[in-house]
Amino acid sequence: MDVTTGDARALPLPEHVLRAYLGGAGLGAWLLHRLGPAGADPLAPQAPLAFVFSPLVGTPLTTSAKFAVVAKSPLTGLLTDALASSQFAIAGKLTGHDAIVVTGRAQAASVLLVDGEGARLIDAADLAGMSATDTGHRLAGRLGRGWRVAAIGPAGERGVRYATISHDGRHAGRGGLGAVMGAKNLKAIAVRAAAKVAVADQAAVLAAARGLRERSFGPATAKYRELGTLANLLAFNAIAALPTRNFQAATFEGAGRLGPQAGPEPAAGERAVPPADLAGMRRVARSSCASCTIGCEHIYRAGGGKSGARQARVEYENVFALGPLCGISDPAAVLAASAKCDDLGIDTISAGGTIAWAMECAERGLLDAGWLRFGDAGALLRALDEIGTRGTPLGDLLARGSRSASAAVGGGSDAFAPHVKGLEMPGYEPRTLHAMALGLAVNARGADHNRSGAYEADLSGDLDRLDGGDAHVAAAIETEDRAAVMDSMILCKFLRGVFTDPFAEWAALLAAVTGWAVTGAELRATARRIVLAKRVYNIREGWRPEQDWLPDRLLSEPLGLPSGRVAALTPARLRAMIDAYYKSRGLDHEGRPGPEATAGLRLA
Amino acid sequence: MACACVVLAGGRSSRMGTSKAALEWHGSTLLYRTAGIVARATSGPVVVVRAAGQDLPALPRGAVVVEDPRQGKGPVQGIAAGLAALRGQAEAAFICSTDLPFLHPAFVRRVLRPLAERDGPDVALPVARGHQQPLAAAYRVSLAGAAEGLVSAGRLRPAFLFEECRLERLEEATLRQDPVLAALDPYLDSVLNVNEPADYAAARARPAPEVTVQLFGEFAREGGGRGPRAVRAATVGQAATAVGLEVGRHVTAALNGDQITRDPQAPLAAGDTVFFMSADAGG
Repeated sequence: MDVTTGDARALPLPEHVLRAYLGGAGLGAWLLHRLGPAGADPLAPQAPLAFVFSPLVGTPLTTSAKFAVVAKSPLTGLLTDALASSQFAIAGKLTGHDAIVVTGRAQAASVLLVDGEGARLIDAADLAGMSATDTGHRLAGRLGRGWRVAAIGPAGERGVRYATISHDGRHAGRGGLGAVMGAKNLKAIAVRAAAKVAVADQAAVLAAARGLRERSFGPATAKYRELGTLANLLAFNAIAALPTRNFQAATFEGAGRLGPQAGPEPAAGERAVPPADLAGMRRVARSSCASCTIGCEHIYRAGGGKSGARQARVEYENVFALGPLCGISDPAAVLAASAKCDDLGIDTISAGGTIAWAMECAERGLLDAGWLRFGDAGALLRALDEIGTRGTPLGDLLARGSRSASAAVGGGSDAFAPHVKGLEMPGYEPRTLHAMALGLAVNARGADHNRSGAYEADLSGDLDRLDGGDAHVAAAIETEDRAAVMDSMILCKFLRGVFTDPFAEWAALLAAVTGWAVTGAELRATARRIVLAKRVYNIREGWRPEQDWLPDRLLSEPLGLPSGRVAALTPARLRAMIDAYYKSRGLDHEGRPGPEATAGLRLA
Repeated sequence: MACACVVLAGGRSSRMGTSKAALEWHGSTLLYRTAGIVARATSGPVVVVRAAGQDLPALPRGAVVVEDPRQGKGPVQGIAAGLAALRGQAEAAFICSTDLPFLHPAFVRRVLRPLAERDGPDVALPVARGHQQPLAAAYRVSLAGAAEGLVSAGRLRPAFLFEECRLERLEEATLRQDPVLAALDPYLDSVLNVNEPADYAAARARPAPEVTVQLFGEFAREGGGRGPRAVRAATVGQAATAVGLEVGRHVTAALNGDQITRDPQAPLAAGDTVFFMSADAGG
């Protein structure tokens, strides 16, 4: 859909492309190669924004109701792909398309509608400045039943470079896709089902769905089911893996107030959980994404009093980024900040990372913002407002992310800007998680915990997380490959622990749905192809070898552990792991693929 | 400085009447426990020296077995073989026998410390519980040649090796000045070895060390016993059992917030804290 002209057309996708890239993040990378002009500004009209569905969505397979949004990131200048789950994925697939790709810039604020009757624009003037949630509600009333809406908030309209695209309270969060959508003058995209998904072997799909559902109730998903991802927080704090105060520490003295559970059992007569702790705000309720049997979303009460109470979905990453990373232990403030990010439509990780960097700059005298201090909840909320509106010079600066802001501020602040390739770092301390350090450094999207789950190896006990070497490299590659397939076919990675022979099991699922005689070995090759295709795209768009690296702070400031051991990640160790990664991936010493590595990409 | 460890398992165990390496102590073998404890205290390899053809019980992952080429030559030969195996991999090694059920990582770290200092000695030799402890001591790896030379010359007592190097004796008072060691092993039980059946019986009669267990995530549910609690456990597996868990695919343990393991045989020492958390980590 070219929203400049309003022209829409359906492009056939050859089966060999679908088989080579599957869907979701993989197919999105292929689409960017084919439809994105080289070197285009991410916010330029000609830059494509792709909503990409997948082979499995629309089937009864648990956790399959997901889709990817893919574009060139305004935050990194490289490929970004964000996955989200909701009925939008199912309705989008049932429009009869594998992907919806948008280019151009609408003449006025618009909503893109796609259904069985094609694609068209409607006016969105009345939606200006609304949150994504309110936009969804307004459009639901206007469009009627059956429409599913993904929208941007005010931050996306104003070009905040880490703005999100949201729907049903879920977010395609990382890399600034909301800014790309806003640059196209699109407030929302609404889809309505018009077809049914046909599968090759209905009986096999139903049997697989039953089996997968049963396994989704087992121990591999217990953490998500019982507590959600917030279960990480206290555990990571205990093992010095919880980034704190802009990565100046890896344990946070206020972590106990932010965990999903009460601390030590109280003495007789004491109240079990002070209501001012996050555990005391936890409700019994939990929620699931569409078509999911895990139910990882745990509902908390945000705001004060019965009348002011608001329900909040709490995840580890938003609590980490808006809590310990900014030195804040007040759970009400963290939930309020998280809600503000939702209302504005900005990524909590990049927001928290950029503000934490700014807090350190202010404390060092590099920024003229004396009010911006670690641990000050009011300062956090004010900074979020200024970012979301871009209404002040500081807000405008921070809306660009920590890389760009540190380049403007100077004073050596780039050494502690918490990003890789411009994407702010998630809540995994690289100095105490060496496999993850590699995963963060080399990932195409930047500092990312979803395309590289190498922390799994660090926390598995199968290797020494403080002594990165060849085993860490192999583990990082394996998790990257697994993520590439899961993000493309698509299944939620919270399900990953139920598979004992994942590539073979995934091949069987794909075979039942598509009818392809796909094997585990083929899927392994597919994974490597997808990972490499993203790297090749980035190279085309100006990636430089020095971007596969970590912030200086992480390589020059060791951390002491409670055991007395010192956790250090030296430049030499990281270099050695990256070199080994390149070699294993078939890349040259600068991380570029040779002809042999690119031969199987099928990008032409 | 890169430090490693050597466990001498090739002794004849003649007074015990059976291989000491395989003796059980609170759910593990003496060899597994000793190798696991020294591994926790150093960053380099763990070398286990055995007699030619000797059957050994299971070892912790990563332990390297070397054979003693010359049997019946006593401890200096074992020291020589162990140090020779570490050439190029470490600068110093803690060397011990396999029969130290109460060996504590804090003791190993304390004994190795002098060798890490500038102009430090070649050997740090504890003198504890009334005896020199050459098989619970730290040696510079560069002594391998000297030790081999002594064996070739038939000079088989450790004292001959000490004559040829810079030696630092670590008296009990000196050792106890280390606050960590004083807190965790105040009687220097680390050097208590078991030579005879009576020693072994006495060692078995002593309880497993007291450790602190804390549960995280879904394991800390109401009624599941959240919060730190003291238990008696000599291995991670025993600590897990004490709180109704089983380490494995979905349950890991972090020792003192540092090393993470799923090995139920991983040894615990007095004062350890064990965090049990989900192996399905991350988000």
